Amino acid sequence: MHKTDSIAPKIDRIPADERPERHQILWTTLLVAAACAPFARYLDGQVTAFLALILAIRLVALHRPAALPNRRIRALLAFAGLGNCLAAYHTVTGQDGGSALLATMIVLKLLELDTKRDLRLVLILLGFLSVVQFLFDESFQLTFYLGLIALGLVTLLTELNGGLGAAGLRPALRVSARLALQAIPLTIVLFVLFPRLTAPLWSLGIDSSRGLMGMSDSMEPGNISELAVNGELAFRARFADRRPDSNQLYWRGPVLWKMDGRRWTPGAPPSDRQQPARLIESSDPIEYEVVMEPTKQRWLFALDMPVSEPEGTAISPDHQLLSNQPVTALKRYNARSVLSYRTAEPDERVRALALALPDNVTPRMRALVEDWRTPGGNGSDGREERADDWTLVQRALAHFNRENFYYTLLPPKLGANPADEFLFETRSGFCEHYAGSFALLMRIAGIPSRIVLGYLGGETNEFGGYTIVRQSDAHAWVEVLIEGRGWVRVDPTAAVDPSRIDNRVATELLGAGASVRFDLGEAAALARWMRDLRLLGDTLEATWQNWVLDFSAQDQRRLMDRLGLGAWQEYGLAVLMVLAVSLTLGGILLVLMRERTERDPLERLYARLCRRLAGVGLPRLPHEGPGDYGRRIAAARPDLATDVGGFLALYVPARYGERSTPETLQRLSNLLRDFQPKAQSVQSAFKGKVTASNGG
Amino acid sequence: MSQVSDSLRERAYRYFDGLLRRVPPGPDGVARVGGRQIYIVPTRAGFMYGAVMLVMLLGSLNYQNNLGLLLTFFLASVGLVAMHHAWFNLLGLAVQARGGSPVFAGERARFEVAVRAEGERPRHDIRLRKNGETPTPVHIGAGDQALVALAVPTEKRGWHRLTDVMVETRHPMGLFRAWTYVATEAKTLVFPKPAPQAPEPGHDAGDSPRPHRTRHEGAEDYLGSRGYRPGDSIRHIDWKAYARERGLVVKQYGGEQGQEVWIDWARLNAPDPEIRLGLLTRQVLDVSAGQTRFGLRLPGAVEGLSQGTAHTERCLTRLALFGHAQD
Repeated sequence: MHKTDSIAPKIDRIPADERPERHQILWTTLLVAAACAPFARYLDGQVTAFLALILAIRLVALHRPAALPNRRIRALLAFAGLGNCLAAYHTVTGQDGGSALLATMIVLKLLELDTKRDLRLVLILLGFLSVVQFLFDESFQLTFYLGLIALGLVTLLTELNGGLGAAGLRPALRVSARLALQAIPLTIVLFVLFPRLTAPLWSLGIDSSRGLMGMSDSMEPGNISELAVNGELAFRARFADRRPDSNQLYWRGPVLWKMDGRRWTPGAPPSDRQQPARLIESSDPIEYEVVMEPTKQRWLFALDMPVSEPEGTAISPDHQLLSNQPVTALKRYNARSVLSYRTAEPDERVRALALALPDNVTPRMRALVEDWRTPGGNGSDGREERADDWTLVQRALAHFNRENFYYTLLPPKLGANPADEFLFETRSGFCEHYAGSFALLMRIAGIPSRIVLGYLGGETNEFGGYTIVRQSDAHAWVEVLIEGRGWVRVDPTAAVDPSRIDNRVATELLGAGASVRFDLGEAAALARWMRDLRLLGDTLEATWQNWVLDFSAQDQRRLMDRLGLGAWQEYGLAVLMVLAVSLTLGGILLVLMRERTERDPLERLYARLCRRLAGVGLPRLPHEGPGDYGRRIAAARPDLATDVGGFLALYVPARYGERSTPETLQRLSNLLRDFQPKAQSVQSAFKGKVTASNGG
Repeated sequence: MSQVSDSLRERAYRYFDGLLRRVPPGPDGVARVGGRQIYIVPTRAGFMYGAVMLVMLLGSLNYQNNLGLLLTFFLASVGLVAMHHAWFNLLGLAVQARGGSPVFAGERARFEVAVRAEGERPRHDIRLRKNGETPTPVHIGAGDQALVALAVPTEKRGWHRLTDVMVETRHPMGLFRAWTYVATEAKTLVFPKPAPQAPEPGHDAGDSPRPHRTRHEGAEDYLGSRGYRPGDSIRHIDWKAYARERGLVVKQYGGEQGQEVWIDWARLNAPDPEIRLGLLTRQVLDVSAGQTRFGLRLPGAVEGLSQGTAHTERCLTRLALFGHAQD
């Protein structure tokens, strides 16, 4: 009872044309539900449940208005919604919490749709909700879907405005489809030319709670194996002219110096005295462009060794290419690398760091290394024939090859001293086991070593002309410091006898990513076909990424350069944008002006008759109906009266009555074919003839 | 306080409205809306739309989210295109107004406005507005026309001129309100407001009452109905028939002929001429209800003795236009 008391007066005050109709509320509710649907994947379960509950109440209330909560309950629900978001995220300002709150409030507004204004507010805010979703997902599919939602909201706004003549959504849909089509060129112009920010204005904290798949900055048994079965994209690379062989594609990432007995961590030497990384010798650089997925880390991947620093990046002393900001969005950069090189020799401090040993080095590890150093052992003559460092490296690699080391992605679990257990007991593992234990053995032998994480190889996409590197291409290798040669890359994993590579797991788990380390025979035609299809899909995705997701200020600058307006900088862009937008709008107006709504065939025939009569100097006046026109023609040109009269006698009842049949149309068109009026005077007869023949 | 500011605002509006261009009627009496006579301003929903777009733009720019920008630009472009559609929806609209039958001051003068969608485009959501009432949106099919009745309150006798009508649209999305003022020459005659009561008009002594048995309109007995002709008294219009959409029909009366009476300006002694006219109007109405033949004497004008609706109408017109130019 109280409810009706509080609501009734308010509703009475709303003018009739501001009161929304039932179907308008229904469609708006459905559109809100559709806009929230893809969001459910990212929202906390309890927030989704709350949204669903409110939507359900709204739909029920359409049938039973009594189910609509009154103002007091609505206030309670609003608090409940806020509390629900807080309970789920502990904040409502971050990306997750903020968008959850936005969705909650929009849905709650659905319970209060007294006027069309309320509906308009909900519809306009749906645009905002759509944009927020792009912070979570940038796929083509979602873009298409949200484009449809946008079209829906334009349609409903049109429907709310009314005055369209017919009932139902169809007229509004027709209007909004026209609006959308005409808006597309303008959208493209704005998208291409609207000046972008090169750095964010503020940061509301992109949540770091949501972990991104990718490489971590430490190495512990088991880390990379997670990646190895992950077919997700790491980055795409496009080479300027030639693509090196796959086994040359060592994509260099973080460098690890420190070993605590189990984990390898960065612990790079302090760089204050270290000058930027220097290469003493190098081959011709190769150039390539990388489009990298966000990692929330600073490192970028470049081929061993990077020699150029793209804008906003720097090369660290241990030759890592580092971005100045964590990579939170798709990152594109042009890099240059040399494939053969000689690094400068580091100083003593660095050398000491690269020799630091954990405290769990076992005697049998030392014995193994000693055995490589002096293969003769403690010879009877006691003479030591000590091998040099590089020979020792070769012997270590030979050891991995000769002994029963297995490559597998599902190695047995290792205990407290993984390196020891791996070397002498389990003897099966993958790159991180090999690289970790190899680097450790080198340090025991007195050869400075460090681990490099990154990716190896990548799949060539012939359609797109680029190389796809997936998480499953993740790899770890070792660099050893050799006197006179600098840091030298050694890949102990590659030393494993190919016959002992167990790629069974890889075949099962990877499916998608075939890496260079495993030559998965692609004998089956079906497999090849599937692969082509997959590559084609990837090409489309890459194009989408390249031209839409990653379009940036640099691309705009490049565009300006190409137009010869590079010197104008951002102003030029702004001027160009204003010009282009005006021109596009002008074009749209022209289209509007010249547009003819579809005429029925009857009217087309009449228009042809009028054109022919106009050709002999008797145009129809704008206000003249067919009857008046016919009488005027008959008065001015009695010779045409029969023809015109005959036409009109058929046309008028067909047009204004209800007797329009295909036969009528046919007869009218026949009449028209025979009707070739000639101008009266001899002088203009020629002109009339020309016009008539043109008109036919 | 708020009333003062309201009336101030109204006056300001009226002042600015006065500055706006009017669509002049063409030689055929039809005003066709030209591009430069259309004004557009965002509605409240339009401002809201713009504000949300701005937030979307800033957010997308800040997070360098190109898809967000794409959607923002799409919706903003739709808004811009919608603005042009609103403008275009009025462009070339043909408007013609004409006055309705006379009314008494204080009643609402009726005007009929014909809005035609010449050419090949339908027009959506056309609203005609005079003096801030909430109009009903109409849809006009291509080549069609819509008739919209406007009722305008009157205060003074004489010709009530419509002068201009606001033609408005919020098509297509309700984000922009486009409007234009169409100047019209339509006018409706407003009779003086009849005084509540008036003294009995003096009988003319010169003529003796001569009974007639000719059939004249204006007497008591109901004879039947006929179609409305200009000049018929609105008092005889059969409003019930009009409400049943049978058009304007006038009830005819006839019967016994009465006496003769002169309604005379000079016989009244009210000092204010308008009050005097009100009294005269009441006298005309009273007398014409009976079967009396009557005449009207005004300073500088005389309407001779006669009877019937047309005569009454003529007398009332004299009173309405007394002291005005006869146009």
